Amino acid sequence: MTLFFQVLVVGLTTGAIYALIALGYTMVYGIIELINFAHGDIFMIGTFICISIFGLFGITNSSAAPTGLTLVGVLVITLLASMVLCAVLGIVIERVAYRPLRNAPRLAPLISAIGVSLILEDVGKLWKGITIVPFPQIFPQRFFYIGSVEFSSVDILVIVVAAVMMVALQWMVTRTRTGRAMRAVAQDREAAALMGVNVNRIISITFFIGAALAGAAALIWGLKYGNTNFTLGFTLGLFAFTAAVLGGIGNLVGAMLGGVLIGVIEALASLICDTTQKGCLIGLPHGGSAWHEAVIFVILILILVFRPSGLLGQQTPEKV
Amino acid sequence: MAIANTLVPARDTRALLIKWIVGLLVPIAVFTFLWSGEAIINQSLLTILGLGGVSDIAVLIQITLFIVVFYATVIALAGYLVAADSGQRGMIELWIDIVFYVLLPLFLVISQGLIIGLALSAVLLLVYFFIRRRVYKALRITTAPPLQNLKVLDAEQQVGLKKRAIMGSFWFSVVLALVWLIADFIFYFSGQLPTTLLIWAVIRTLLLPVVGYFLGRLAGTIALRRTLAAKSNGNGENATDGAGKRIRRRQLEKLSTTRLQEEAKDLVPNDLPQRSSGATRFYLILLVAFVLFYPVIDPFLFGFGTNGRLAGYGDAGYYVILALGLNIVVGFAGLLDLGYVAFFAIGAYTWGIIGSTQLTNVLNSAPWDPHLLSALFWPMVIVAALVAALFGVLLGIPTLRLRGDYLAIVTLGFGEIVPIVFLELDQYTNGTNGIVGVHSPSFFGVNWSVVTPTPYYYLILALIAFTIFVNIRLRDSRLGRAWIAIREDEIAAASSGVNLVSTKLFAFATGAFFSGIAGAFHTAKLGLVSPDSFSFTDSIIFLAMVVIGGIGSIPGVIVGAILVYALNVFLPQQLAASATDPTSVFYSIQNGIVHFIPAFTFGNIRNLIFGILLVVIMIFRPEGLIPSARRRRELRAVDEEGVAVGALDVVPGAPGFEEEVRVE
Repeated sequence: MTLFFQVLVVGLTTGAIYALIALGYTMVYGIIELINFAHGDIFMIGTFICISIFGLFGITNSSAAPTGLTLVGVLVITLLASMVLCAVLGIVIERVAYRPLRNAPRLAPLISAIGVSLILEDVGKLWKGITIVPFPQIFPQRFFYIGSVEFSSVDILVIVVAAVMMVALQWMVTRTRTGRAMRAVAQDREAAALMGVNVNRIISITFFIGAALAGAAALIWGLKYGNTNFTLGFTLGLFAFTAAVLGGIGNLVGAMLGGVLIGVIEALASLICDTTQKGCLIGLPHGGSAWHEAVIFVILILILVFRPSGLLGQQTPEKV
Repeated sequence: MAIANTLVPARDTRALLIKWIVGLLVPIAVFTFLWSGEAIINQSLLTILGLGGVSDIAVLIQITLFIVVFYATVIALAGYLVAADSGQRGMIELWIDIVFYVLLPLFLVISQGLIIGLALSAVLLLVYFFIRRRVYKALRITTAPPLQNLKVLDAEQQVGLKKRAIMGSFWFSVVLALVWLIADFIFYFSGQLPTTLLIWAVIRTLLLPVVGYFLGRLAGTIALRRTLAAKSNGNGENATDGAGKRIRRRQLEKLSTTRLQEEAKDLVPNDLPQRSSGATRFYLILLVAFVLFYPVIDPFLFGFGTNGRLAGYGDAGYYVILALGLNIVVGFAGLLDLGYVAFFAIGAYTWGIIGSTQLTNVLNSAPWDPHLLSALFWPMVIVAALVAALFGVLLGIPTLRLRGDYLAIVTLGFGEIVPIVFLELDQYTNGTNGIVGVHSPSFFGVNWSVVTPTPYYYLILALIAFTIFVNIRLRDSRLGRAWIAIREDEIAAASSGVNLVSTKLFAFATGAFFSGIAGAFHTAKLGLVSPDSFSFTDSIIFLAMVVIGGIGSIPGVIVGAILVYALNVFLPQQLAASATDPTSVFYSIQNGIVHFIPAFTFGNIRNLIFGILLVVIMIFRPEGLIPSARRRRELRAVDEEGVAVGALDVVPGAPGFEEEVRVE
């Protein structure tokens, strides 16, 4: 049982990060029905931005980590800078690659998004090389125990940051004027435009917020896992997108739920035993970790078979 | 107007003749004298005269056939184009078009090599489209008024038209013969032409006009049959009473203006009447001849390295099959599939496991006879395709209730699961190492080897031909119409009696079937299967091929597949190769950039280039390079006035109706 809860903690932390990225997918999808394949790569660029900003503060892998208020200052500045830079990147991408295709056939923006994703990947490759890039571990690691379940200070940081971001987003979308405009555009773009909503501006804001969340996710990912790579955006993006679909795409709470679920499923999958070892009768060859992607997708398919619009997605009646 | 019984052009025909003869002569001259046409002919002539040249008799026959087909088609094309010219496009416009469609690519291919040349000309062509569209818009150039061929041609006009075709071909051959003669004299006096070949020069000069005359007659007949007759018959029979005739006439005129505007955007430089299937046929003959004889004429065209190039085209070929298969699912049936690579992997592993010692190892039995295994390839292609199709159905069943992007994510998941299964079930598939030592196919007892790519080249040609044939037949079948109905509106289709379940499952199965064929070919050609070749990126690249080419359009998808392959695989290879050569301009470019970005190599920015091109192509041609006619009409439907877009040219029940409503 301890093992189970231990795995649950791992799943929750990873899932919180997935959820942050998934929010970007789900917001963009909700508003312009586009699978923004470049979103994961914005996250990847975000991790590189964080490393570079640490570098500006003189923090590298070998240097001693700052303490006390300096640490808080550095983290807050990096978080804000990463969010703003990613958000700007998101807006630029929207302006250059998606806006000209607003009225094009449906698959055209999708291919354009794939193109942007490939571009960002190679930019990452040229920037930091193709090897795994270490991420300075400046947040002090302390371990806490509840019963015999262990969790670290970084886990708490991740969950707190993710939770704050989500609550802020939820508040923004449900309580502010901009949020209301966003929901209006998502529901009916033309009607919203007739009511005086500046649709292009709202779409830009959506990209801004989504990419900013990815920037935040980038920092906490780096602090938690200590490395990054130019392909990271692709892998994580895939999971995050899956999370968004799982929760019901276009639904913010769904994306959060989906992200956490995917994280937990991924962690639980590692408990499946290895049939090539002795003493394992029911399991998968080479153990569950090798199969975690497959497990995630099988569960996703099963869920979609029974709930075709995701867990919290609304079953929209087909218009005739 | 009486038609003079001479070959001297009348005043109105003269301009036409000049327009087309110059337009066609320049590319032909470039091919013949600047590139390898002359060399190919001389080689085969020298062999025939017993003065050396090509040693292999089979190669000789193929070369000769190619020359005959190539030049004959071009001469006939000249006649056809003169006859079928509708005055839709002016002389200068046409010449500029020919420069960008034919001449620039030719020059670039000669100077830069095939791949870089083609890629550069593709980019130039895009720029040209863009500028041309802007200029047309700025100058408010509209397309020409409806064509005269909508009315019934009387016998005299028909004879006149045929006459024009004969004149076109005849004068084209005369000018070609003269140019050739002058060129040969120059070559002779500069000592580059053996004396014996002068006999040929004389024979050719005498022969060409005669050949031109007869080919012109043929082209004229085709022009009449293919271009004009079908149209005018349908029209003549339908309109019975006076008022109906007038209305019908007006409708037709409006429709033909729409059509003309559509055609003005076409890729083919067609100055042709609405139904240009005749000219398309000529272009097709040219293309087929070139592709069929390519392995033989490649050494003349590009020098050393034929084997490497042919191997590359084999790869491009299975991309074409994959794109056509995916087009059925995404283009015809409108089901977004992001995991298409799974079926490719299934096909590849099916032949990989059977065709190597893998299966017998797993079963702990004695290995099968290698000869038997090699011969087994042929039935196994079908089996691999059927296995893939079965998995297509298996994927289809749980997705029946899903729509749009939920479907996409499930297919994506499937595409992720399948490679993992192949990777992790290593007792059957050899895991990360993949399966090596897959037997090459054998044909009538002759074993192919992985190092000689020519048999694979022809095999993939045959497979592509099969795939295209099946695709066209399917598209025009009841099933194909059902797919398109589902794509357009699922509910409407269902209420019109389309069985959603079987239709969707058939779409998945058929798409997967072709993917399975491509997979088996891929394994056979490489002689191994590696789990690395089946990632999500590949699925996405397949999708990009379909969308870039023009979703749902068979020629478009073929072009898209070749283009994506060239841009994504060939071009980076060529760039990386030329960057290692110190004399090349790319070498200095690379060195220049490395100063600023240390990680820079041309191999490293493969995705960067590809990504930028994807975005640019999508922004400037979101409907794809060659959109299907139906989609083009849909897209234009918004800003079209006056004409009901769905209006038919032929009323239901009339003889031409079936043809008219055929789904494109």
